[in-house]
Amino acid sequence: MDDLRLTERSVDQKEIKISASNVQVYYGETHAIRDVSVEIEDKTVTAFIGPSGCGKSTFLRCINRMNDTIDTARVSGDILIDGEDIYDKRVDPVQLRAKVGMVFQKPNPFPKSIYDNVAYGPRIHGLARNKADLDDIVERALRRGAIWNEVKDRLTAPGTGLSGGQQQRLCIARAVATEPEVLLMDEPCSALDPIATGQVEELIDELRESYSVVIVTHSMQQAARVSQKTAFFHLGNMVEFGETGKIFTNPEDSRTESYISGRIG
Amino acid sequence: MTDASAASAAAPPAVRKSSLHQLDARTKKRNASEARFKAYGLGAVLIGVAFLVALLYAIISNGTPAFTQTFVTVEVPLEPEAVEAAEASFVKTSAYREIIYTALAERLAEAGIETDMGPEELGQILSSSEAGQMREFVLANPDRVGGTVEFRFFASSRVDGYSKGRVTRESLARDNNLSAAHLDLVDRMEAAGIVERSFNWDFIFGADASDSRPEQAGIGVAMLGSLFMMFVVLFLALPIGVAASIYLEEFAPRNRWTDLIEVNISNLAAVPSIVFGILGLAAFIQFGGLPQSAPLVGGLVLTLMTLPTIIISTRASLQSVPPSIRAAALGVGASKMQSVFHHVLPLAMPGILTGTIIGLAQALGETAPLLLIGMVGYIATNYPDGVASGFLDPNSAMPAQIYEWAKRADPAFYERAWGGIIILLLFLMTMNIVAILLRRRFERRW
Ligand SMILES: Nc1ncnc2c1ncn2[C@@H]1O[C@H](COP(=O)(O)OP(=O)(O)OP(=O)(O)O)[C@@H](O)[C@H]1O
Ligand SMILES: [Mg+2]
Repeated sequence: MDDLRLTERSVDQKEIKISASNVQVYYGETHAIRDVSVEIEDKTVTAFIGPSGCGKSTFLRCINRMNDTIDTARVSGDILIDGEDIYDKRVDPVQLRAKVGMVFQKPNPFPKSIYDNVAYGPRIHGLARNKADLDDIVERALRRGAIWNEVKDRLTAPGTGLSGGQQQRLCIARAVATEPEVLLMDEPCSALDPIATGQVEELIDELRESYSVVIVTHSMQQAARVSQKTAFFHLGNMVEFGETGKIFTNPEDSRTESYISGRIG
Repeated sequence: MTDASAASAAAPPAVRKSSLHQLDARTKKRNASEARFKAYGLGAVLIGVAFLVALLYAIISNGTPAFTQTFVTVEVPLEPEAVEAAEASFVKTSAYREIIYTALAERLAEAGIETDMGPEELGQILSSSEAGQMREFVLANPDRVGGTVEFRFFASSRVDGYSKGRVTRESLARDNNLSAAHLDLVDRMEAAGIVERSFNWDFIFGADASDSRPEQAGIGVAMLGSLFMMFVVLFLALPIGVAASIYLEEFAPRNRWTDLIEVNISNLAAVPSIVFGILGLAAFIQFGGLPQSAPLVGGLVLTLMTLPTIIISTRASLQSVPPSIRAAALGVGASKMQSVFHHVLPLAMPGILTGTIIGLAQALGETAPLLLIGMVGYIATNYPDGVASGFLDPNSAMPAQIYEWAKRADPAFYERAWGGIIILLLFLMTMNIVAILLRRRFERRW
């Protein structure tokens, strides 16, 4: 893995945005996340890496409480966002999800027009004062999703008629349109070509200015390129968490090292 | 990776070469079984089509005659003294009848048709509804008294049957309503333009008639009754069914109670319809005190019967909406309800509508429960004068009316039963076409 282009980044001390401690997730009898504690900083890109089925998506879904929608899932432990427990009784998951946006592993545009796909979130949250406002929001979101040039002439065409990669970028645009504070991305680039991937990575880098981004990826290069912090998951445990540069060059755990060098997974 | 290197180290297996131009035994077998399966399928479809064609042929050939009727056109002088005398008499219609018979005899003489039948005997050519028809006209148009009015009376059902080939001179030998001599007369009257057969709107819009005058019976009132019931079913079953399905499918927790409810709904769908009839009789009429024979009660019973169908089809179409759509909506911060109403329901709509219309069509054709709650009212007067004007007035329903007619002795009623089936089928076909069109319309929104 010597082709990793590790960029030197100034990693100054930042505020903690998400703080998880002793999180356990069960799907019925399956213990999918075992005692995970992690502190995710604001204005930082954090990458989750690990072999398939190790619980990356599961942990990501804990952060916006999407696991609530799975009947068999049980979550315990504490997750705080800005110091507030998101599993507190007073928290309405709907309000939480407006604050914590998500891009799913499989592209899932609404079977509506491209415009409506992006405009849906701002509409239900009342972010636009009028039609022109909404048009602006949609255009900005589509530009950030690196898809504006491809769809600007067919905003009324169905979002489901786009190619897989275009659909994924549409979903990214849809997620950023609601201006979340935290953006969770589950393998956002798995269906994208290198050019679109590059554009999405640029977007992620840009989002870092104002948000905290958590990205799950199977591409070591991508994790190295876009993230400042990396967490390595293995069989439901979070094995190692630290500076991306350090994880990739000098991991502490032998499992991390073997995964990064392609020996397990 | 270690596996791959191990495999490449082993000796490569011997490659068996085969020609693509020759079918191997397995492929032949596979193709043969596929051909057999296609033949079975085609056979099944052909048998189905053959039955359908036979059914349609029977319905159309038996039912179309019901839509035409034989009429006798007579000019009747409405002399004021005669009308006054008739209105003063005890059995008013019999006085009117005499006027008509005399007019008919005169009309025959005028046309040069000689007969030795007296007016009374001649009158058997006419339906016994003639006097009532004339009296109604006189009461409605008193200003026409004094002039001469041309009436189109129904011919009696035997005469009508003769023109439709149902009644022959031989079959009249054992019939004391009409004789072969009458038929000779009818032939000549037809030549003179007094008797003719034409389309009969009264069959579609008219009311039922007594056993002795099938020529007058129509399905209109029963149609109205069915319409009232369908309103009740639509406005109760659709909202209740869809709301119940949405709740069960999207909101209810999965536990023993919801499982129990689910099993019971499936069971309800399989309950024989007559059981719903008894239930309706006990619950709505005896316990609830609602009137018998009322479309409201019929509609309630049919609602109970249709609900499981609607719930099952609605749940199936909700289930077929991919979960990723719900996740997407929740992911951008929509509430559960927003995700259901903005995204899931529109996608499930075609299925829901189809299920609802199929449920309604089922309800429209249902007879057994209606018999138990008395939705076989005999109503011989039409809306708006008749009683069949509201949700609580006694009424009948199309399938119940068809059943009633099929039960009666006169073959003329049998013909009307088939005619009623044609009308019922037209309604069902229209509903199914509407279902298909709605489906298409909604599906165009991907
Ligand atoms: N809805 C569910 N019900 C039951 N078990 C589940 C469910 N979702 C995930 N799991 C289980 O939880 C474990 C973690 O799954 P998860 O989807 O989080 O893996 P992942 O790390 O995202 O994998 P991948 O990289 O393939 O996406 C797996 O063993 C999986 O089988
Ligand atoms: Mg995953």
